[in-house]
Amino acid sequence: MLDQQSLSRSSQFSLSDADIERRKIIVDLTARDISRITALKDIVTQEGERYTEDFFRYLRDLGEAPGLFARRDAFAEAKRRKREHLTAITNAIYDHAYAEQRIALALLYSRYGLETRAFLGAFDHLLGLVGDDIMKRSSEGADVAFRQFMSLKKIVFFDIAIMVDVLMSERERTISQQQDAIRELSTPVLQVRDGLLILPIIGMIDSQRAKQLTDDLLRAIRANRARMVVMDITGVAAVDSKVANHLIQTIAAARLMGSTVIITGLSADVAQALVALGVDLGKITTTGDLQGGLDEAERLLGYRVIREGPGQRLSA
Amino acid sequence: MAIPILKQGDVLIASLQADPTDNDLILLKDELADRIGRLRSIGVVIDVSGLDVMDSFATRTLRGIAHTTRLRGADTVIVGIQPEVAFSMVQLGLTLDGIATALDLEEGRARLQRRADDEASRGT
Amino acid sequence: MAPDATHVVIAHDGDIVEARRKGRELAQRIGFSGSDLTLIATAISEIARNIVVYADRGEISLSEADNGGRRGIIVVARDEGPGIPDIERAMRDGYSTGNSLGLGLPGARRLMDDFEIMSTVGQGTTVTMRKWKR
Repeated sequence: MLDQQSLSRSSQFSLSDADIERRKIIVDLTARDISRITALKDIVTQEGERYTEDFFRYLRDLGEAPGLFARRDAFAEAKRRKREHLTAITNAIYDHAYAEQRIALALLYSRYGLETRAFLGAFDHLLGLVGDDIMKRSSEGADVAFRQFMSLKKIVFFDIAIMVDVLMSERERTISQQQDAIRELSTPVLQVRDGLLILPIIGMIDSQRAKQLTDDLLRAIRANRARMVVMDITGVAAVDSKVANHLIQTIAAARLMGSTVIITGLSADVAQALVALGVDLGKITTTGDLQGGLDEAERLLGYRVIREGPGQRLSA
Repeated sequence: MAIPILKQGDVLIASLQADPTDNDLILLKDELADRIGRLRSIGVVIDVSGLDVMDSFATRTLRGIAHTTRLRGADTVIVGIQPEVAFSMVQLGLTLDGIATALDLEEGRARLQRRADDEASRGT
Repeated sequence: MAPDATHVVIAHDGDIVEARRKGRELAQRIGFSGSDLTLIATAISEIARNIVVYADRGEISLSEADNGGRRGIIVVARDEGPGIPDIERAMRDGYSTGNSLGLGLPGARRLMDDFEIMSTVGQGTTVTMRKWKR
């Protein structure tokens, strides 16, 4: 059972009372609007079931959010909440609990992949159904019915704004998590010998990745008791002064932990360009390629690699 | 609260625990200066693994200690700077340039020993 | 306007430790990660030290921030010291050499997300820093 607690815990989205009040001001919700909305209570209560069914049928017919319809419990949950939503609108208590209700349903939609554009389309359809009923049933004439509808629309837009904000926020969160995962995959720290780590870096380095890199490296230095690190940047897409400064900072931090970093794969051209940009490369020990860097690091650690013979051939 | 200084073989070890006051650090500097002079130590290992913040004052004091130690013919190694602390220090521009650093006590002692051996073999 | 702010009077170096301890506690309650706790405590330490060294006395307020969904911490350091005559120079970024004026301001800025400084010579300085939970 997807309870409200677990849903809101999974996201960091929450609204303060001040924010809720601000949103009411933004849709210009007045006391008169609220009394008009309350007058619609009967219609919404009687037709609520139909509105809910129709809302989801609309989405299903469009082929949207298949994940939601595939899961019976999720679908039942969504319908139940939608029904509660409709009732709550005409109860006219638009407080923190009301907002939480909207947030919870939006989180559910997000979890089952309902896209914003589909959500808006279905909501618009729903609004059309309600509008028709208001016009049909009004005993006080078209003018009054129209005003009631317009008041209802204000609180509907209040709802939509909250729910779309949640959908967008969740989407950002997913993207951010995916980026984190990619980052982790693309920065392996390898232990080659006792006290020696290799860090091959591939791709673009932005500020966030640089921080991740530094974090990973420093933790690896501690875990592996590494006194030397060979950081190969042959695969780094663009080495500009910002990237160079990130590297310098990483090297400085590693040194504070007693580890020396050798940079390999920094071409002469790029080095020249960086110097021209005013970057102080004096802090960086560089050698041409990874092999050279490894040899140097091993030497500094006191290792000597001796070839004793032609070696064995591994059978095919 | 005074920072304890231990003598292990020919090495002095000072372990800083969480949140030393400025005064604690100054007292440490004076005490180390005194002991290095009196005992024949090859160096000092200052263990800061208990610190969760290394700010500009702490860094300046450590530099001062390293300087004083060197004047008395011995070396200083700072050990145990944690990853987050190292990162913060670099962001603040506190580099401890010119002062030896090592991962932990063991590495720190090994470092001092290597330095002492190097100097001995050079006949200084 | 800070809801439930913690105030720490900064008058001597022992208060620096107090300020960063309180800052770390609050940040932990807000739910910041371990490494962020260190960054925040370090930034507070530097700003508090400035007050002790340059202004003799001041105050640091710590409170929780909320910007429509994201939680964070706000640190406001106020003093009535001599003020900073050339803020731009004090804030100039020097990666490799650090800030030669020793004010630690650019460093503190790098550690936090938002950073504002207001200073009037002869009246005092107010530094406002914020960090947001990721």
